[in-house]
Amino acid sequence: MSRTTIARRELGSLSREKTIVLAILIQLIIAGFSSFLVVGLTSLYDPGGGGEEIQVAVTGEAADELIAAGNEVEGLNPVEYRDRSNARDGFDRGDAAAIAVAEHRDGRIDVSVEAPQSSLQKTLVVVRLRAALEQLERSERRDRAAHLDFDPIPLPPSVDASPYFGFTYTILVPLLVFLPVFISGAVVVDSVTEEVERGTLELLRVTPASLVEIVEGKAGVMAVLAPLQLLLWVVLLGFNGIAISNVVALVVLTMAVAVVAVVFAAGLAVTIPVRQRAQLTYSFGALAAFAAATALPEHPGTTVALLAIDSPTLTTYAHVAGYVAVAAVAAVALRFGLDRIDAERLG
Amino acid sequence: MRPRKLLRIARWEATKGVGGLDRGAVAVAVAATAFVLAVSVAVAGGGVALEDGIYRVGVSEDSRLHDPIAADSSFAVVEPDPTAIESGTLPADSQYDLYIEERGDETTLYLAAEGGAPTDKSRAVVATLRESVDRYNDRRMYEEDNETAAFPVTVTIRYVERGFDAGGDGGGGGDSGSGDGFGGTGTGGTDGGSTGGGSVGDSGETTDDDSIGAPSLGAFDLFGTTESTGSPSDISPPFPFQSLVLAFLFVLPLNFVIQAYGSSMLSERLNRRGELLLVAPVSPAEIVFGKTLPYLAAALAITAAVVAGLWALGGEAGPLSVLAVLPLALLFLATTFLGSMFARSFKELTFVTVTASTVLTSYAFVPAIFTQTSPVALVSPLTVAVRDLTGAGVTAGEFVFATGPVTLVAGVCFLLGLGVYREEDLFTQRPVHLKALDALAGRIRRPRSLLLVVALLVPFVFVAELLAVALLFALPVAVSVPLVFATIAVIEELAKGLPIYAGYVHGRYDRSMAVAVVVGAAAGVGFFLAEKVSLAVQLVGLPGLEVADAAFQTGLGTRDPAIIALLAVAPLALHVVTSTLSALGASRDRTGFAVGLVGAIAVHLVYNLAVVSRLV
Repeated sequence: MSRTTIARRELGSLSREKTIVLAILIQLIIAGFSSFLVVGLTSLYDPGGGGEEIQVAVTGEAADELIAAGNEVEGLNPVEYRDRSNARDGFDRGDAAAIAVAEHRDGRIDVSVEAPQSSLQKTLVVVRLRAALEQLERSERRDRAAHLDFDPIPLPPSVDASPYFGFTYTILVPLLVFLPVFISGAVVVDSVTEEVERGTLELLRVTPASLVEIVEGKAGVMAVLAPLQLLLWVVLLGFNGIAISNVVALVVLTMAVAVVAVVFAAGLAVTIPVRQRAQLTYSFGALAAFAAATALPEHPGTTVALLAIDSPTLTTYAHVAGYVAVAAVAAVALRFGLDRIDAERLG
Repeated sequence: MRPRKLLRIARWEATKGVGGLDRGAVAVAVAATAFVLAVSVAVAGGGVALEDGIYRVGVSEDSRLHDPIAADSSFAVVEPDPTAIESGTLPADSQYDLYIEERGDETTLYLAAEGGAPTDKSRAVVATLRESVDRYNDRRMYEEDNETAAFPVTVTIRYVERGFDAGGDGGGGGDSGSGDGFGGTGTGGTDGGSTGGGSVGDSGETTDDDSIGAPSLGAFDLFGTTESTGSPSDISPPFPFQSLVLAFLFVLPLNFVIQAYGSSMLSERLNRRGELLLVAPVSPAEIVFGKTLPYLAAALAITAAVVAGLWALGGEAGPLSVLAVLPLALLFLATTFLGSMFARSFKELTFVTVTASTVLTSYAFVPAIFTQTSPVALVSPLTVAVRDLTGAGVTAGEFVFATGPVTLVAGVCFLLGLGVYREEDLFTQRPVHLKALDALAGRIRRPRSLLLVVALLVPFVFVAELLAVALLFALPVAVSVPLVFATIAVIEELAKGLPIYAGYVHGRYDRSMAVAVVVGAAAGVGFFLAEKVSLAVQLVGLPGLEVADAAFQTGLGTRDPAIIALLAVAPLALHVVTSTLSALGASRDRTGFAVGLVGAIAVHLVYNLAVVSRLV
């Protein structure tokens, strides 16, 4: 009974201080920020992405081959120039975004490219030129197939696919799952150490609530908030046309990881009831655990990605079950640990 | 401020809890070590591969596509089951995203489809497959005996400035040298190992060749300045997000520092602990700066270590990078200090600091993306660090432009926080926004004090506007200029209106019409005077950038003395009128203030759009 009272009181203070609004705002900024990054990144890298054509000055004795290959690349317009100095003039005037000099040398085609040092287009120019050069390489290889032991595998057709697809599921969704979990733990540290540092824990203990109930009430409400935020994100992403699969399994996973995080946080807070120390230990510890999880057969981030993108395997579900088991053990251990702690010493 | 007292407080703060190694300090040390160890092990092991097995492909072992698929970890190979294909299509709920069927010479790709159209996921699978097959072909080519046939194209890429010849003919000699012996970049060796067979000997031979290899910095060619040679697929496009790496290296440690700092400052406010120091014969400034000094020193030490590490990796970093990060560190500490003065509880402090550091990180990072391309990059001090690392260097003016506003904002934050570092504020609990008003009101005595307070807020306005410019400048001018106008109207009117409102809330002014006009005029004049200092922007920073011209409205672009003069005086009228509107509203009540503020913003926006866009 007193657990729910504590939990309600905790929720009350969170909403009174508007911290929960701030928390969601932070996640929104971070999600928006990382999406901004990736959209910028891929539009710079994606050869078919930008609308405008890039004109490249091509010259040299093998210019015809390079132009033929360049014409097959979307967004690239190779133009033949008479010689190198002509091409250089075109480049300096800004007619051409780059110069490519293609020569036959030792049975190869040797291309020397000059790209602009300071230009926003630099990356795009290089990416599209690379596509053209790879095309040239493929066609040259075909011509020389007789001298090769391995016959290159023909490429699958190019399709119209979202370049952000992989990013959404492997970066954004795991971020939106683990960020609330991390914040939940941090809030538990704050909440418990604050009661100790302010001396209000003593007042709480005068009430019928025991230390176990106080800590479990505080930790429990934060463990529940994390999966709730995940559900919110699932709905929001759904509005943006990003379908999240296996929501139930994801919620179970988030809940389990959140329980582990808040137990760790609560344990720290009662062992080291000084906010500065406990909070630092919690952040370092949580980040260390996340990095150390690479040793698992499947990183928790991968588990989230596989569930959300709908490619889970038995291993994925085994991991989810594993987290649930760890969470159960942790919750029991916390209760035993709290029972043994001398509450007098804390307050 | 007396240095001796200040240093003594700094020593207390630094040695707090160090005496007998307490449990907390040991725990922090252990966790930090575990963090460093775990991260370095994870990085050494190739980082976290989050995309492992996200695409399920049905392909049989004798298919030609099997090997490239098996070699790419983002694919999960599923045993093909021909019954999955129903009437020529692959239903979306099957266990495959892509099904590859091979009959004789013909390969058919079945994309998982829903309602007749292939799903987003299956299209992404094919796009990824295309890349993996391309990579696979290249790897197999390293095993070929006939290198000329395997790599028929070699590329040398050089980055040059427009307008002067970078010695193209001299480079030609180098080109001919690169023609032979290509193909032994060392990659051949690793691939020989993974595919096995008789190719191992071959790859061993190729590595013995007079190989060109990757440029020495190879994977660390963050800045795209080196010349590189190789096959087309060896070209790595210049990484435009170098500042991301730097932001992580420089800003991430700052987050840990401010966490410790914020806790320490806020705990002074718990149970009146800070009272002991307050009654001691030291000034609040000595207490605050004394307590800040150790954390600033820690931040600088970490930055210096990072710079030294980058230097060891081949960057040209020097003391200039440390100097560039110093204002950022100060700003992080200043906002945390202000946050810990305002916060009611540890929970609130956590959220306030995380919000502040997220916003500050974007401020440091976003403009720096454009380091090599646009003057707007100099908005962020990180750009100075990036330029220093690439050996490009900055002029003194550019350095001041990049670090000045940030340092000023940090100073103002400390000043506002110091205003409430006194008994009656330190130990009372009020919502954050009321505390913020208290901090503003702390500096207001009479109408003309508004001159100073509003002027103090101008660095904030400046930084906020720079951030808006940096975020919006990449958009087309037709969109970015109106957006910038609107943002600026809001920011500037808030900067003038909030101090006025704070003055009224704290009963500093009579609620009469005449006083409201005087107050409004004072705020307007204060803002105008301080803003004119920002003329320096055009002189140093952002010439010829249309968005910047819209933001800072100097009319210098027109080169017409009459317009420049008009633009220098007209804003005075504007600022006085709009802030009087806010003051009139604030003299009534909260709703009145809201109405007045909205009116002021509207007037400001109309002025910007009408006068400025007509003239400039």
